[in-house]
Amino acid sequence: MNTPFFKYGLFGDDVSLVIAFVIGIGFGFFLERAGFGNGRKLAAQFYFNDLTVFKVMFTAIITAMVGIYYLSVIGWMDLSLVYLNPTYIVPQTIGGLLLGFGFVIGGYCPGTSCVSAVTGKIDGMVYLLGIVVGIFIFGEIFPLVSNFYNSTPMGQITLSQLFNIPYGILVFAVVMMAIGGFAAAEWAEKKLGNKIVEP
Amino acid sequence: MSSTSNEVQHGPKPYWNPYLSGMGLGLVLLLSYVIMGRGLGASGAFSSLVATGVSAIAPEHAKANEFYNEYLADTTKSPLKDWLVFEVLGVLAGGFISGALAGRIKKTVEKGPHISVSGRLLYAFVGGAIMGIGAKLARGCTSGQALTGGAVLNVGSWAFILAVFGGAYMFAYFFRRQWR
Amino acid sequence: MNEYTTTRHNELVDPSLHIWGWEIPVYLFIGGLVAGMMIITGYFIFKGKYKDKACVCRSLPLLGMIILSAGMFALFLDLEHKLYTWRLYLTFKATSPMSWGAWILIVVYPTMIASFLVNVPEYFSRKFPWMVGISEKLQQHKYAVKNIGVVNMLLGGLLGIYTGVLLSALGARPLWNSSMLWLLFLVSGLSAASAFVHMVAKRVEERELLAKADNGFLILEIFVIGLFIIGMLTSTKVHIQSALVLLSGLYAPAFWVFVLGIGIVIPLILQLLAVNHKIKHTPIAPIMVIVGGLVLRFVIVYAGQYTHWVDAAF
Repeated sequence: MNTPFFKYGLFGDDVSLVIAFVIGIGFGFFLERAGFGNGRKLAAQFYFNDLTVFKVMFTAIITAMVGIYYLSVIGWMDLSLVYLNPTYIVPQTIGGLLLGFGFVIGGYCPGTSCVSAVTGKIDGMVYLLGIVVGIFIFGEIFPLVSNFYNSTPMGQITLSQLFNIPYGILVFAVVMMAIGGFAAAEWAEKKLGNKIVEP
Repeated sequence: MSSTSNEVQHGPKPYWNPYLSGMGLGLVLLLSYVIMGRGLGASGAFSSLVATGVSAIAPEHAKANEFYNEYLADTTKSPLKDWLVFEVLGVLAGGFISGALAGRIKKTVEKGPHISVSGRLLYAFVGGAIMGIGAKLARGCTSGQALTGGAVLNVGSWAFILAVFGGAYMFAYFFRRQWR
Repeated sequence: MNEYTTTRHNELVDPSLHIWGWEIPVYLFIGGLVAGMMIITGYFIFKGKYKDKACVCRSLPLLGMIILSAGMFALFLDLEHKLYTWRLYLTFKATSPMSWGAWILIVVYPTMIASFLVNVPEYFSRKFPWMVGISEKLQQHKYAVKNIGVVNMLLGGLLGIYTGVLLSALGARPLWNSSMLWLLFLVSGLSAASAFVHMVAKRVEERELLAKADNGFLILEIFVIGLFIIGMLTSTKVHIQSALVLLSGLYAPAFWVFVLGIGIVIPLILQLLAVNHKIKHTPIAPIMVIVGGLVLRFVIVYAGQYTHWVDAAF
């Protein structure tokens, strides 16, 4: 078995859009299940009341990370065919800070605001409109920021290559850190009164 | 449509255990990698939408702009015929299905008790706009950069994750009235 | 730059060109939708439900006429020689579905007017009291009313069938060359109409009934689409290639995502849960069905024009 299937030409671009829709359904379903359609629950993360965002996000990351690593070890997945977003370290860090800033103000991120809007939250719908306007602003000022946008390129690079640590050991370390983080999150929630946000 | 008497009226069901829903998300992400060789995303779909809109109104202007042009380069098809656009359509459908099954579809505004509805909506709009700019600067959002890149140990993605949490915790104090 | 000019430079020569724009699919969709609405109205009138003040069959005929007129206008926009439209009615060709269609559309209006008069909506009975007189006289003749119901159902069926036959009679397009097309468009029209009525009906029983009917039509539609595709796949190479345009080719995203996913499967699941009182009734599922029905016409008309006999490898 050779994966990723798409890269081995098992189906074409048109069928890939159908798959995108099906995968999106799964994505949206679990986002909503986790409570990510609710801005209060998402924002509560940043006041240490309800650390669901952290728990869900890192469970998702380590599940996928371990799965990908496992598949590549047994030879079912060719990691070199997996798309890696090229790193531009400074603009990405600044963008991340801006995103975090927008997150506490707006209460959502683009994916969660879709789920929020479709489950009837008006703030989610307004937020979506805000994203569109923000992207439009970015597009209009792009000629001014394009130098910064393309600055500090590091190419397609993984942490394992950067620190010269074997991939498997890094996967193990991230899992350990995540488990430590989960324990700390559970402890903090108990300590701070366990104000889990419900629908 | 107003609800009627012979329909079931039960309160919304509680959210799932975070580790369970996180595992579900992770498996979807893994599936996306296995089938497509790429991860999930969200903000890219809105970029396609914006690029399409701009090019419909001012085609020359859009073509001259490097950012829009990236989404318009392939002239053989509509820029909306894009992987992320269809994925986000699925997100909308999946979110609705999950919400409907759990009785959580409700017209409401999520906010803390100390802020007015219009104030919250203004914050939502401004937050969305800032997020839009930030997500484009970072070449992806929480889905496209953090989740997707995080799972393949992408350097930029991990820097991004730390920055998002850092930025949010840094500014959370100033916006506490909105949520608490 | 053309070195020399041949007839092939006439853009209307090549059969792979799009000649039909948005007008035809919109018209076909509206035709199917109104056909379904007529059948539903006819059924309610036949069953004697028209006596109920809140029966949706009181408002449907008027809505149907307005919607159908909008569709006819779209069709009119598509005509090359708009001034000569009347000539359609000077001739009748028994083998031409266009001819049949033109005449069916002519008879459809009086039929809808008759069903409108069976029980005139409140707004009209207040403004034009003489209409109430007609309604009362009509209602004294039970069999006349029943016959109006039957004729509505029959003509609705003919109208729905005609929207499909119109395409399948055009042999030049392999994708349309299917005997299932009339059934597909009829069932799709019925499901869109049920969804529409489900949204506008005031009485809970009607809404429930139509949600259930819609579920039935949607399930039937899945089977019909399946048979349509299987029929193509078991035919000549050109037909197989035409079917593949829908299954994995250029129109696959629209076909799988919009027609099957958003148009049939997801609303079917939602409505099955709703009629079993597991979740609330929302207008979302009916809207999805209607959008799906519209996209189905676009996909069939566009993909059909994309397929042709000349060159099987599109």
